[in-house]
Amino acid sequence: MPTVQTVSVSDSQPQDYENEHVHAVYDEIAPHFSSTRYKPWPIIAQFLSSLPTGWVGLDSGTGNGKYLPLPADRPGSVWTIGLDRSRNLLQIARKAGEGSTIREVIWGDVLGHPWRDGAFDYAISIATIHHLSTHARRRLAVQRLLKCLSPSHGRCLIYVWAIEQDELSKRTVPTESPAENGGQDVFVPWVLKSQGQPKRKIQPETDRSPIPTSQDQEKVFNRYYHMFAKGELRTLVCEAAQGMGLQIGNQPEGASGVVGIEIVQDDWERSNYYVELRRWECS
Amino acid sequence: MVRLITHNILACHAKGCTQNNFPLQFKDASIELKEQEFNPDFLRNFLSRLEWKALVDTARELGDTSLPLEMPEMIDDEFLKNLHHVLLEIHVEEGAMICPNCGHSYPISNGIPNMLLAEHEIG
Repeated sequence: MPTVQTVSVSDSQPQDYENEHVHAVYDEIAPHFSSTRYKPWPIIAQFLSSLPTGWVGLDSGTGNGKYLPLPADRPGSVWTIGLDRSRNLLQIARKAGEGSTIREVIWGDVLGHPWRDGAFDYAISIATIHHLSTHARRRLAVQRLLKCLSPSHGRCLIYVWAIEQDELSKRTVPTESPAENGGQDVFVPWVLKSQGQPKRKIQPETDRSPIPTSQDQEKVFNRYYHMFAKGELRTLVCEAAQGMGLQIGNQPEGASGVVGIEIVQDDWERSNYYVELRRWECS
Repeated sequence: MVRLITHNILACHAKGCTQNNFPLQFKDASIELKEQEFNPDFLRNFLSRLEWKALVDTARELGDTSLPLEMPEMIDDEFLKNLHHVLLEIHVEEGAMICPNCGHSYPISNGIPNMLLAEHEIG
């Protein structure tokens, strides 16, 4: 198995860089990637189960849409709209879950904001923000999430990949030359084999599929990741919130004209850091 | 499948487009009706989140006149069923959504709306 390699990102054209090393790769590997990503992670499933009936949310970076049908115990009790940059993953996300139910998906970028501010009761961003190649862009992505949430009660769960890897993880991560803020910029290879490609659910729309030649039995796609250091995600979230004039902490009693966020959970699970937060306002 | 529940949330995010950028107007919409399980509890709780006028106007543009201009005070099953149909069973599969302010066109193809803008175009 190819190993994870460290890379250094040039700051000058981050969008082009992500187009090449994130978006193009996901469009190419979409069906194979999707066939390996079907099990919801428990903390995320739990978060979605805890939402009141009637809430509407955003899954920013929905990938193959595996969280769109949740919660499994109360299907249809909340309405999650999936956003992703990969058109080919969205084709899969539309049909996520059992049965013929069509899921609602939007082709868009996590740095965009094509909705009314505050329109969502909740948002999740799972394994997405770590694909942005500069600190400023990751902070902006968090701000987009905060802004789409209801100022009075919006809830949000963010997951990113951690330098600190689970011992069950197949990957070993080199930790020399840490990037800004203690994180680590890396390429993570995705290997598409010419034979025995697992469960191709649909064909990619574009005719750019990486069918290897006879000499080339497998094709390796390097995806860019910023692996987060311990504490980095919380710092990022706090910076993003403060940049929007939001206070960090519990909702103060008796105050007025104050807005903020409360960090509800901040932890590590299975090679990922996550932060759950809640918006509040004193009017 | 831009459904009206989603359309009621979408707004133009082009640079400088901060006023009158909602609701987007459907153009050349091709529609499919697909049955969806009726969930009155969801609808009752969801109701307060709607921009009612935008929903009714858009439904009428698409040829559905079942919703009253004002949100009724009495929420009965008949109303909820009409609302259910308008929000969740009308799928716009092809066409575009046009910003009433700047005129930007967001195409819809195979039921997926393209809300991407080049980075320098985002407000």
